[in-house]
Amino acid sequence: MTKTYPKASRPSLDNVSVSIEKGEFVFFIGPSGSGKSTIIKMLLHEVTPNKGRVVVNSKDVTSMRSWKRPHFRRSIGCVFQDFRLLPNRTAYENVAFALEVIGKTKAVARRVVPEVLELVGLGGKEHRYPHELSGGEQQRVAVARAFVNRPLILLADEPTGNLDPDTSIEIMRLLDRINRTGTTVVMVTHDSNIVNQMRRRVIEIESGRIVRDQARGVYG
Amino acid sequence: MRVKYVLSEVLVGLWRNVTMTIAMIITMAVSLTMLGASGLMYRQVDDMKDLYYKNIEVSIFLSQEVSEQQRTDLDGKLKNDPLVKEVIYVNKDEAYKKFQEMYQDAPDLVNAVKPDQLPESFRLKLKNPEQYKNIYDQYKDTEGVDEIVDQSRLLDKIFDVLTAIQNIALAAAIVMAIAALLLVANTIQVAAYSKRREVAVMKLVGASNWFIQAPFVLEAVVAGLIGSLLGLVALVAAKYLLFDGSLKALQGLLSPISWGDILFIFPLMAGVGGLVSAATAWITLRFYLRV
Repeated sequence: MTKTYPKASRPSLDNVSVSIEKGEFVFFIGPSGSGKSTIIKMLLHEVTPNKGRVVVNSKDVTSMRSWKRPHFRRSIGCVFQDFRLLPNRTAYENVAFALEVIGKTKAVARRVVPEVLELVGLGGKEHRYPHELSGGEQQRVAVARAFVNRPLILLADEPTGNLDPDTSIEIMRLLDRINRTGTTVVMVTHDSNIVNQMRRRVIEIESGRIVRDQARGVYG
Repeated sequence: MRVKYVLSEVLVGLWRNVTMTIAMIITMAVSLTMLGASGLMYRQVDDMKDLYYKNIEVSIFLSQEVSEQQRTDLDGKLKNDPLVKEVIYVNKDEAYKKFQEMYQDAPDLVNAVKPDQLPESFRLKLKNPEQYKNIYDQYKDTEGVDEIVDQSRLLDKIFDVLTAIQNIALAAAIVMAIAALLLVANTIQVAAYSKRREVAVMKLVGASNWFIQAPFVLEAVVAGLIGSLLGLVALVAAKYLLFDGSLKALQGLLSPISWGDILFIFPLMAGVGGLVSAATAWITLRFYLRV
């Protein structure tokens, strides 16, 4: 597929074709502005390609009407570099919020949220506010929020970008554990250290083109 | 749960920006009061037209030297005129009696006038009072006719004034409505901005569009409904203080405004207040939320 943003001199993604299987763990690497984030946005149906098709969970996202987008997004979890937690809500409330706004009852939240917070290693810190948690812990809350709805796909846009190396490794262990439950993990990163340690599929993008697609790859 | 969530969001939203909320409600109330007043006036003018035009007369005064023949001819013509509903002939003596009644407080004047000096006349009731002009054109040059006087011309002037007041109220309602709409748009922008993090998360995890928008839209609707309630209070106060109070002297002239009329106009005010704010909020969200 190809995506050209208006006012851009060259396409952000130029004739890119990638297929990711269910349950895979994939790194997208490449310099800033290479088009990695555009891929994430397309998977989220935030932008649509000018040419070509995007198929997620065997649904053609390209032609999806925007009113169907909310429901589609419930099958995708998202984690970002800046965590995007609500500062005036506790860890528990942040995760529960994600459930409640898609119509789950408080009873469901009470059952599921402690479970997932335990899974990400935040047992006992449910009632802390984001500013009372370290960066790594905040990212764990974000991962819990992304995973609480048991999505088929977890998108992670530089999830370790704001974390120190040790904390980053811990977050990666967490993502790996989530991947083992059968969730497809797609991660965009600059962190060569992590890519080299994980030895998973690596897709390198440069100027909107795929220059490398390697199983069990390294940062290069 | 969801309804409770949305409602609590609405209250929190209104309270968070309470000065703006008050400004919004006040402008909305003034605008809707004007709208309601204009609507009441519209009914009022209609009622009064019905009331007055029913009793309206065109008088054809005959000249002093009118002949028997001319009078009979005119009588015949008028009785066969399709525009005329009823013809009453008033001779000099009857005219004098009426004159006496009308000026019984001024005996000097009554004494100074003799029955002979008063003109005979035909009093016509028209099928459609607004066709006065046709009657006038038709009979003004008939021999023996001195003058044709139409009461509705006078009434028209009164109605012109009432219609002008009504238009002013409507114009004020529209101007205030524009101010109210801008305030609604601004309030929604501020609300959307202060909740931008929540909205971003909601979009990310796939909350439905209506669920994201409902608290904002309802915030505006609630303000609109409160505004219309205040407008109702203002109209009730206006009836109580003005029409039943200081303007009571005019009651013979103005047809009364009943409580029913005011209650009848309230759904219009509430509907306009609620719908217009909802539409404004929704359109504003299209630009500021991009859901």
